[in-house]
Amino acid sequence: MGQLHRGTRGCVIVDYGMGNLWSVASAIRYLGHTPQISNKPQDLQTASHVILPGVGSFRLAIESLNERGLADGIRDFVDKGNGFLLGICLGLQLLAAASPEDGQTAGFGYFPHAVERFSFPPTSDLPIPHVGYNSVSFSHQTGIFSDLQQGSYFYFVHSYRLAPALTNLNTGLTHYGETFVAAIDNGQVAGTQFHPEKSQTNGLRLLKNFLHRR
Amino acid sequence: MVKKRLIFTLLYNNGEFMLSRNFRLQRVGNLEWLKRNYDFSRTAAQIDELVVLNVERNRFSNDDFISHLQKLCDFCFVPITAGGGIRRLEDASALLSNGADKVLVNTMAADCSHKVIEIAKRYGQQCIVLGVDIRKSNGSTRALVDCGSKLVALEISDYLTRLRELPVGEWMITSINRDGTGQGFDSELLELLPPNFERPVILAGGAGKPEHFLDLLRNPKVSGLATAHLHNFVGDGLKQVRDLLLRDGQELPIWDANEIAALKSSVDEI
Repeated sequence: MGQLHRGTRGCVIVDYGMGNLWSVASAIRYLGHTPQISNKPQDLQTASHVILPGVGSFRLAIESLNERGLADGIRDFVDKGNGFLLGICLGLQLLAAASPEDGQTAGFGYFPHAVERFSFPPTSDLPIPHVGYNSVSFSHQTGIFSDLQQGSYFYFVHSYRLAPALTNLNTGLTHYGETFVAAIDNGQVAGTQFHPEKSQTNGLRLLKNFLHRR
Repeated sequence: MVKKRLIFTLLYNNGEFMLSRNFRLQRVGNLEWLKRNYDFSRTAAQIDELVVLNVERNRFSNDDFISHLQKLCDFCFVPITAGGGIRRLEDASALLSNGADKVLVNTMAADCSHKVIEIAKRYGQQCIVLGVDIRKSNGSTRALVDCGSKLVALEISDYLTRLRELPVGEWMITSINRDGTGQGFDSELLELLPPNFERPVILAGGAGKPEHFLDLLRNPKVSGLATAHLHNFVGDGLKQVRDLLLRDGQELPIWDANEIAALKSSVDEI
């Protein structure tokens, strides 16, 4: 059960069969919440904070969210506007416009960015996936990026990424062969390509900022 | 640029954590004891990755091991590699759905490499770490499997060339001779790698003091250095290593580990 705090109605981690939910739940617990891991769309409607994690293929993830009614659940949650959403790793990509992974598939479209595989010059010998700790620069150290230093390190594992786009959104950028979107925050909907739950105190701080949203 | 890694390895055996010397095991204490007496959450705040290996030799007590893996997630906010006794895809799945980000395979790579391919197809090769344990004796250098109890029949160079074909994300090479001795890493083992070896390599076995990490982490062949030495490197031990490496200008992530206790349960106070 989601633990009730003043001003919050609990944190739900969306379980759609993709990804390691255990570590995200541990980090949320460390910060004092009792997250509810749920695959039921109705649980999203009573939540104040929803986390959409995910590892694997974009297309399979969207199919799996649709099958369980969770895609509509997430849209309803965001449309009502009385709660906050955070996508992690594949979860961020799902919030963007579309991805060509496994065949062109539409995402939720909360961010206008295109998802694409890393594209390096032919002379590059950088391995894909991008795995490991890398630094992130934020356009504004506000919102979920509050109290994070410029160049803070976070843990990444991914082959696809959001290409930078001309937006006014608060964005974190990282360089790996090219510059890509590491995190993004529009106030109500946010996402991180990196894993905050695997990024020591930097990640815990970001998750705390998210859970503090009112 | 992706940073280099300082890695701590915990050896698990039937509810207890162990010290190892040349792969001979000695009991240290259970998880509660580790947290209390070794201040393990502070150690965890200084590392870039945790490796947890089930080194129980007789039976594969997967359930107990998995419950320990879950508990470690409660205070380790770095990627966790788990392994020891993985024989089937299902063993890997159990670890990957209970807190592990990667699995370490070793004996399986020698005995039934097609199962390694099966795990890579299901989860991606980035979540497989290939463990190679190497022993030098009487002028010969050989790989061993089954917790260092069984010699691999192939010559070391042939064995490593064969392993190179496997779809894994990185290799972890351990010196059995140096393991637990505190005499320093055996950097000569890196020379055994096939020419133009392209995967990240973690070197383990022999770390005894912060200086042992200093020159080696600069080596372009090394992506990470691991120690399992509970006596030498818990409490402030790894902080000293980390501070020394950062002062030396080495490419490690910078952690504000002092905040870990302050962040705990802070949401409750709203």
